Amino acid sequence: MTRYRLGVDIGGTFTDLHLMDEETGALFALKTPSTPRDPSLAVANGIEELGKRHGIVPADVRYFAHGTTLAVNTLLERDGAKVGVLMTGGFTDTLELRRLRLPKANDFFVPKPVSLVPRRHVRPVGERMLSDGRVGAPIRREDVETQVRRLLDDGVETLAVCFLHAHRNPEHERLAKSWIEESFPGVFVCISSEVWPQQREYERALVSVVNAYVGGRMKAYFNTLHGRARALGMTCRVFSTKSNGGVMGIDSAAERPVETLLSGPASGVIGAHHIAGRIGDPNIVTIDMGGTSADISILEGEMRYATENTVGDFPVIMPAVDVSAVGAGGGSIAWTDAEGVLKVGPESAGAAPGPACYGRGGARPAVTDAYLTAGIVAPDSFLGGEMRLDRGAAHGAIDSIASVLGFSRAEAADAILQIATAAIYAELLPQTARRGVDIAGFSMVAYGAAGPTQAFMLARELEVRRVVVPPSPGLLCALGCLVADFRADFVQSVWREAPELPDAELRAIYGRLEEQARSWLADQNIDLDRVYILRSADLCYVGQSYEVNVPFPDVVPARLTTPRVVDWFHARYGRVYGYADAEAPARMLEARLQIVGVTPKPPVRPVADSGDAPDGPTGARPVHEHGEEREAAVWRRDALRRGEVYEGPLVVEQYDTTVYVPAGFRVTVDDHANLIGERA
Amino acid sequence: MDDGTRLEILLNRFQAIVDEMAQTVSRTAHTVFVKETQDYGSVLVSREGEVFAAPRRYGVLMMIGMPMEGALAAIGEDVAEGDIFISNDPDATKGMATHLSDVYLWTPVHVDGRILCWAWTFIHVSDIGGRVPGSIAPSSHEIYQEGIRITPQKLYRAGELNRPLLDMILANCRTPDQNWGDMKACLAGLATARRRVLDLAGQYGFDTIDRTVDAALDYAETQARRVIGRAPDGVYRYTDYIEADMAGLGLVRIHVSMTVEGGGMLLDFTGTAPQVRAALNIPTYGHDGHWMLITGLVNWICTQEPNIAYNAGLVRPMKVRIPKGTILNPEPGAACGARYSTSHKVCDVTVGALAQAVPMELPATDSGQGSILLVSVPDFENGGHKVSVIQPIVGGAGGRPVDDGVDGTMVILNFLRNIPTEIFENEMPEVLIRHYGLRNDSGGPGRYRGGAGIEIEFETSSPYTSITSRCMERYIFGPPGRLGGHMGAPGYTILNPGTDRERDLGKIDVLELAPGDALRIGTQGGGGFGDPLERPAGKVADDVANGIVSPRGAREHYGVALNADGSVDDRATGALRAGIRVARGWSEPPLHGLGPAREAHDALWTDRLEDAIVAATADLPVPLRQFLHERLMTEVGIRLDAGRPVEPGDIPTLLDRVRAVGAAQAAE
Repeated sequence: MTRYRLGVDIGGTFTDLHLMDEETGALFALKTPSTPRDPSLAVANGIEELGKRHGIVPADVRYFAHGTTLAVNTLLERDGAKVGVLMTGGFTDTLELRRLRLPKANDFFVPKPVSLVPRRHVRPVGERMLSDGRVGAPIRREDVETQVRRLLDDGVETLAVCFLHAHRNPEHERLAKSWIEESFPGVFVCISSEVWPQQREYERALVSVVNAYVGGRMKAYFNTLHGRARALGMTCRVFSTKSNGGVMGIDSAAERPVETLLSGPASGVIGAHHIAGRIGDPNIVTIDMGGTSADISILEGEMRYATENTVGDFPVIMPAVDVSAVGAGGGSIAWTDAEGVLKVGPESAGAAPGPACYGRGGARPAVTDAYLTAGIVAPDSFLGGEMRLDRGAAHGAIDSIASVLGFSRAEAADAILQIATAAIYAELLPQTARRGVDIAGFSMVAYGAAGPTQAFMLARELEVRRVVVPPSPGLLCALGCLVADFRADFVQSVWREAPELPDAELRAIYGRLEEQARSWLADQNIDLDRVYILRSADLCYVGQSYEVNVPFPDVVPARLTTPRVVDWFHARYGRVYGYADAEAPARMLEARLQIVGVTPKPPVRPVADSGDAPDGPTGARPVHEHGEEREAAVWRRDALRRGEVYEGPLVVEQYDTTVYVPAGFRVTVDDHANLIGERA
Repeated sequence: MDDGTRLEILLNRFQAIVDEMAQTVSRTAHTVFVKETQDYGSVLVSREGEVFAAPRRYGVLMMIGMPMEGALAAIGEDVAEGDIFISNDPDATKGMATHLSDVYLWTPVHVDGRILCWAWTFIHVSDIGGRVPGSIAPSSHEIYQEGIRITPQKLYRAGELNRPLLDMILANCRTPDQNWGDMKACLAGLATARRRVLDLAGQYGFDTIDRTVDAALDYAETQARRVIGRAPDGVYRYTDYIEADMAGLGLVRIHVSMTVEGGGMLLDFTGTAPQVRAALNIPTYGHDGHWMLITGLVNWICTQEPNIAYNAGLVRPMKVRIPKGTILNPEPGAACGARYSTSHKVCDVTVGALAQAVPMELPATDSGQGSILLVSVPDFENGGHKVSVIQPIVGGAGGRPVDDGVDGTMVILNFLRNIPTEIFENEMPEVLIRHYGLRNDSGGPGRYRGGAGIEIEFETSSPYTSITSRCMERYIFGPPGRLGGHMGAPGYTILNPGTDRERDLGKIDVLELAPGDALRIGTQGGGGFGDPLERPAGKVADDVANGIVSPRGAREHYGVALNADGSVDDRATGALRAGIRVARGWSEPPLHGLGPAREAHDALWTDRLEDAIVAATADLPVPLRQFLHERLMTEVGIRLDAGRPVEPGDIPTLLDRVRAVGAAQAAE
């Protein structure tokens, strides 16, 4: 019997599905319009449609992982539950003060940051833990109950409890939680020492508050989704992707929705990482370009994680796949300033109204209108012709710019593309420098609806080795869902100078983290190929504020010692900063552990060439780009054959995107059906 | 490709280079200054010494107003490929460096043997020597106390490190390894810049880049002139005071007369106090568009024109006139370590003046205090002292014509971060934080409320606990409101609050605490914007429900009465507001809500009187001027305090009198 794995990525405009035949490794892809009011409806629609097109019975799907932007949208749109917060007396403004830093510089009118929880819904509790975990002032049940009653009377729906130094001694938070559960049964309550016990009261509190804020909607959504899948006859369990690039059961996701906040971009990187593994190339820069922005990520064999991410106004300190937005997307608007200089972005037409060529009422020219006008994208090739682009509307929009600049229509479109490319370049390079990476010699994996359209223009300015376009680049996030492993992160703040940390205690800390991790994985109740554990620690030199995450080599936990950790720190510091001071005392800040449950992957098989593909190009059209107009051959993606070399300029049309290969580049097809572009 | 498109493309490429430089410096630097206070910079500079590309998001943002001509003139013609220059000296660079702690490193970028441009960085090092650790003390009164002066010279000669020079510099610093680490971060930034500029020149050619540098500067100038041109022509005056009583200097007057005309402006600081025998001077060398003078104006232009090309062209329209020997243009050798307070006051003064021209484009005054609260306790285990930052103590931002002011921090210091209490208490368990939150009823009332200040209270259990808080400001004159908005609350410091040992300390500089002592500090609220009676009553009720405004404040300042359940009592509110309107006696809201303390001061110390006092000593040699100015101020103060009027015409006679007294004392 045929078995399938299904990956689904729910985006703002489209819901993408990727179905994989576990026997053959064959992939089926579909894009269906998203249904923002009830996101699971689009998922059900897609599964039905896939069934119709490819004769797949939903009951044959034995693995279903999906990514949703519901949590992040709930947060960005400020559409979550009314949360009440209990905090240590004297510190109830922790959420108001944030870390003070404002997001924009040189702007007198910078928007005022607004807390998720109004000040009146943060209530003080007269308790105090000291920094070493001793009780400074005891907690009283009566005090907790009075404050909770006040909050509930004021319409609060869910609760978060965040006391000072609770990561060190969670006793007061645990007492508060048990009292609340006894006296106010049914009220959802998170405590900061359980959700993410890391030192730094604002960031730790925020994890719990966000969890309480988005939890209700996520739970309702998962219930609906689960019901719809059952109704279609799907019997397998449902998994959700995480910000750390892993997956978890939807029961876990409903408990800890905060772990899904950055899962969207993470899934794409997982997909790219999968491709990188297949082609055996460790050094990758990914570029994911959609409607509103382009995102980049750097892979050097392993994925990189970041713990200083932000969602809207809020820092998110849980580890997430390290992705940076680098500006322009297909919807970025072109405009001219008062001096008549052409600009692209930062304003975007987004999905609604979208670029002028979408015919949804957008009149201002966007980058996609320039692709169309330049001849790179054809009006009837978008989504396999399912969505026709309005060439007249695109021309009208581009002409509005051309007339201001005194350019021809084609010149204006070209200028927009060159400036968009420069704008992405300008943001991309500093981001790679921030990571201490020079991407010269890297491979660029391009995906997203516009990534493959833009990638070669960007590659022309960068010293990347080659451009890799996966088989279904517009649906790579869905592929990421499908191939992701089970992953969970655990942290314990230590904050001790190394000499004061006995080896036995160090091992005990990692022992406890491992226990939590294995218990988490057991709860997922899933067949796995293998399980591995990654241990690391954040350390810094005493008196310095730069911490370095030090991954531990594969060492038997029983042989872990503090001096060895310190040695690894010196070595790591030396690699990052070019010097290390072996004499200087080090401090261990956080102990971190990640558990990875590797899911079975389908066998890697070379893709057979499609039978019904045309034998040769489907046509040719003039493309006006980079200051010249040239005739570009137009190919269907499935018509490109392994072993052949295709010289640019060349346009490759496929269901989910258009690949543009300018003059000066040539492409080949590899064994995994990736397009490999190199300088000619 | 046409010039406009090429300009926009190369502006992006230039931006990429300086941002990449900044990220390289910040990632490889070592010290807290870089990470927490972003005190570093990286720019590209034209052959003529103008900054043609500067980061807008990383590091010190005002570098577009840094004058490099003086440094370039100092190094002269002896410039070869691979040379890297170093300096930190305000006098030798004619106002590029503004205190010794900022170490500048720069290098020419040669293309085929010709200099195309310069790459330039600076970093604030932890210690550059001098009389106190950290090098900066407000009480220093000459630059020789503030560290080693590095006159412009080659740290690298054609790629070869000048080791003796480096050794000599580092031998004069308390933190040599950290300094060299930070300098190496700058060198990495310069190497990045050189490589990228060469790439660009390879792609576009020397001449194209060269032309586009000029075009980029001209473009920013045109944009800035367009914004300035929208402001009505006129002459706008404004005065404010640095509260230098901590340094024994009383109120130090900063005065500007801003002429806006045809898209340009002249900032004439005549009437500003003489230079001081304290580290508050800014060695601008009277340079047009100098970065320490234009913060407020650049923020205004960038708020109005967010996409403006960010380079020195933007400050070209900002001409400056500052008499020599004043706090904003001191003679060589003046102490300048703690010049930040002065620079912030200049920002307030320029914004206050400009508000007369474009009131709806500027916020009311912000807290004006950017102080760092430090604590030091004896280290019983290792000897010496343990030092830690408790918190930056800044106050709220001013209300804006579009929104309330930001609570707890200032827009100008947008990059500043606070310290988690959990981290601080771990570092220094001897000190317990009792309270850290917003200060209720501190934001200046207004249609748009000023941002709330901060309150922090802590107690120590250690003997000989020493608290330092440099550059406290606005304890006397609160941040002014605008267009009917009220002043924000001034700052306060209270020792042992709520006990019988309670004392109001006012501003502190250094304070010793004993075990069991507690200190409470409240920072300023921002000034309010617009008439508080026009704030929707519902918003006031919301502020009361959230505790940021008290019921009493709602009644007295906003004329809003609330019912027992917190909702607005419409009838009582209408009556209250009508009553306040009658009582206050104005129909057109005053532009500046200076507050009672400042109004009382200005009634005695009129602008004309102060102008006359400053002018009376203007032509004297600096030491004599400082001496006589101080004496004259004291003399006038005694008379005014005694209720005896002093007219500007009396000043020459009074000056003769204090001179005679001085001469008599000297004769004795």
